[in-house]
Amino acid sequence: MPERLANRLKERRAELGLTQAELAERVGVTRKTVNTVENGVFTPSATLAIKLAEALQLSVEQLFWIER
Amino acid sequence: MSSYVMGVLAGIAAVFVVAAIVKFRRRNSPMSVAEKAEYLSKRRARMLPALAVIFLSQQATFFSQMTGGEHVSAEKAKISAWLVLSVVLLFGLATKGFWLEPKEVRDLVDDENTRANRNEAMRWGFLFAMGSAIAVYVLTMFEAVTGREAVHIVLSFGIAAALLRWAILERRAHRDA
Repeated sequence: MPERLANRLKERRAELGLTQAELAERVGVTRKTVNTVENGVFTPSATLAIKLAEALQLSVEQLFWIER
Repeated sequence: MSSYVMGVLAGIAAVFVVAAIVKFRRRNSPMSVAEKAEYLSKRRARMLPALAVIFLSQQATFFSQMTGGEHVSAEKAKISAWLVLSVVLLFGLATKGFWLEPKEVRDLVDDENTRANRNEAMRWGFLFAMGSAIAVYVLTMFEAVTGREAVHIVLSFGIAAALLRWAILERRAHRDA
C-alpha cells in the first residue's frame, strides 16, 4: 500500500473555530491550498507544514503523520 | 503594411482591450488581498479551458491551406494574431500571470498549490511538445512538412496540453472546497 501524508487539519481548525479562509490568511496562502492539504490532494512543503502547525498551535508531528 | 504585421498589431490590441475590460469591471469592488486572490484564482480555473478551446480553434485557420497554397491576407493576419496569443499564453504559464494586479495579490494567487499545479502543467506541455515533434518527424518520412508547419504543430500541442492540464488541476482543487 502506498504511503500518504495524513493530517488532522480539519479537526483542529474546527476546534479553534477557524474557517479555511481564515487559516489560509494566517499562513499566507489561498483557501484552495488549505483545502487541498486538508483533503490530502496536495502534499505541502516543509515550510507550509510548519506555518500550518504554528497557526493551529500544534507541532508538525501532531498535525501530520505518514499513513501506511 | 504587411498582413502579418497587421495581425500582430490586432493581437496586441486585443490583449490590451481584454486587460482594460478586466480592470474596468473590478474598479469599484472593494476586496481584501485574500478575497481578491481567491476571486482571481477561481476565475482563472474557469477561464483556462475556454482559452484552450479558443487557442485550438485558431488552428483551423492555419491548416485550411495545408495543400501548399499561399495564405490570403486575412489568414496571414489571423496567423500573426495567433502568434501573439501563443506568446501571451506562454507568458501566463511561465509567470504568475495577472500582470496588472498589485504584487501582494499576484504572490498570493501564485501560492504553493498553484505553483505545483503550474509546474505539473508545464511538464505536460513539454511532453506533448516533444511527442508532437516526434510525430512530425515521422510524418516527414511520408509527406513534406514545412518548418513553419512543424513549429506551428509543436507550439500548439505544447501550449494547449499545458493549458488543459492546468485547468483540470485548478478546477479539481477548487471543486474540493
